[in-house]
Amino acid sequence: MEIFLPIAFYSRTGHGLLIVLLIFAGLTGLSGASNLCRSAPLLSRTTLFLLTTVVLLFVAGFSGICWFHYQIFQQISLTLPPSFADMLNQQLVDMNRGAEYGLPLYRSDAPPRYLLPLWLENEKYYFWFMCYAVMALVGHLRLKNHRFRAALHLLLAVQVVILFLHTDPFLAPLPKFLAEVAPWFSADMPDGQRFGLFMRLYPKMVFYYNAQYMWFHPPLLFLSYACITMTFVASLFMLIKRDVDIEMLGYDFAKLGYFFLTLGMLLGYPWALKAWGPNWWWDPKICSSIMMWAIYSTYLHTRLYANKPAMWYFTSILGVVCFLAMVFTFLSSFFFPGEHTFVG
Amino acid sequence: MKKKGSLDFYLVLATVAVLFVISSICIYGMFYFKLAQIQQLAPVAKLDYMNRMNSVIAPFIIALILLLGICVPKRLLPALWLNRFAVALAVIAGGVSLWLGVKTGLVVVLAASLMLQLIVLALAVGGSQLLYFEKSGYWLRLGSSLVHLGIILFVLDLFFHQYQLLHLILFWVTTGAMVLGMIFCFYAQGVVQFIRARRRN
Repeated sequence: MEIFLPIAFYSRTGHGLLIVLLIFAGLTGLSGASNLCRSAPLLSRTTLFLLTTVVLLFVAGFSGICWFHYQIFQQISLTLPPSFADMLNQQLVDMNRGAEYGLPLYRSDAPPRYLLPLWLENEKYYFWFMCYAVMALVGHLRLKNHRFRAALHLLLAVQVVILFLHTDPFLAPLPKFLAEVAPWFSADMPDGQRFGLFMRLYPKMVFYYNAQYMWFHPPLLFLSYACITMTFVASLFMLIKRDVDIEMLGYDFAKLGYFFLTLGMLLGYPWALKAWGPNWWWDPKICSSIMMWAIYSTYLHTRLYANKPAMWYFTSILGVVCFLAMVFTFLSSFFFPGEHTFVG
Repeated sequence: MKKKGSLDFYLVLATVAVLFVISSICIYGMFYFKLAQIQQLAPVAKLDYMNRMNSVIAPFIIALILLLGICVPKRLLPALWLNRFAVALAVIAGGVSLWLGVKTGLVVVLAASLMLQLIVLALAVGGSQLLYFEKSGYWLRLGSSLVHLGIILFVLDLFFHQYQLLHLILFWVTTGAMVLGMIFCFYAQGVVQFIRARRRN
């Protein structure tokens, strides 16, 4: 694969950037930890500088991911010998007959290419945590409460540590995808075998990697996860103190998160029908997502009654439960078998 | 901020209770799926499991749809008439279910809800003061009406997913209604400011 893609360069540069990101996020986290324990703010300007740098580093890394995906688009195409095109198209026509959603026919002048979304495999964590970093910066700028800011910073540092230690998207970029397509580039593969491999790779390319829904369904959900994390921090503070500004900030992020979550889940529905047919019910990920949406809806409804002391605390607890449900939903892909499991 | 004890409040509580039960069944289903290794079973056994779970959850989904059916006319009717309407709807749905099956009964509830919600939406668009909303504001009411219309359409879409064209039309109308509804509902003030700025220019 190294002949076709600059994997080593991408990996080295990206991992180096992640080390710098870890250092800055670590300093932000340290400042957060000390501010959380103090009654007066400490190093406010420095913290803002650190936080802004973390956001910029995240954006720089994301630009790198975009570049790498562009390289994949340019360099990897499923090109078959011209003599195979007619036979393949005949087979595709036969396969498409009677199928609700068919595969596009092969064109020799424009062989299929991978237009990979930017949140594949470990990249999804990167995207998710980047969204949170931007939101933490917005929260930092909007509220003066130094302890609230500190909690946002601390959580950001935790996320970057997780990213660096467990889900680094640069260290071994897109391992599953590259392992899938690597056999395609073995030079000594007989034509018949290449044809068979094409028939294995092509449907997944069409229905998963290149699916339009892939550009909307996952990122909207990760945006909503970042919003839920913001609401979670606000809800924790609401449990400690009745601060209307923090509650408003939590509610604003909850509204935004609900918008992204609802739209993201809706856009997953036609995709699920297209890719799996109607038998997707009781898929653990979908069950837990609907559950999370229900809790989120409850949170937004109970928030209407938050003027009552009991409802204030109930709303706050629901904000925390929303976050726990989100963690549960996310982890369900790894623990519970189902249609979504392969994504993890 | 709302007063506790209103009909709205109890409908919200009832909805929360039903959603809680549905969520609990979902969690049970997830663990059972894992522990009983359903994915390893033959497709027939897997389908049997899904049908069994569907029958467990069905009463609560029906309760949720009925609650939706009651929540919609609460915008139009006073409490006494709302109670009468709820009883009438339940009786009609029960009768149709016995006669033509549960699925048809639920479609009747949804169709009634859809008709009423369209009336609510039309009145909200017209800025009618006849509607019973706990919150005031033209865009907020319009947004809330659209979100609820979207939910009804989405449930209808689930019923009709096997008709590809109808499903896609319903789906995109649902998505449009939900997106617009959430924007109007959550960002009513921003929408007003945006329109004022446009008018000024």
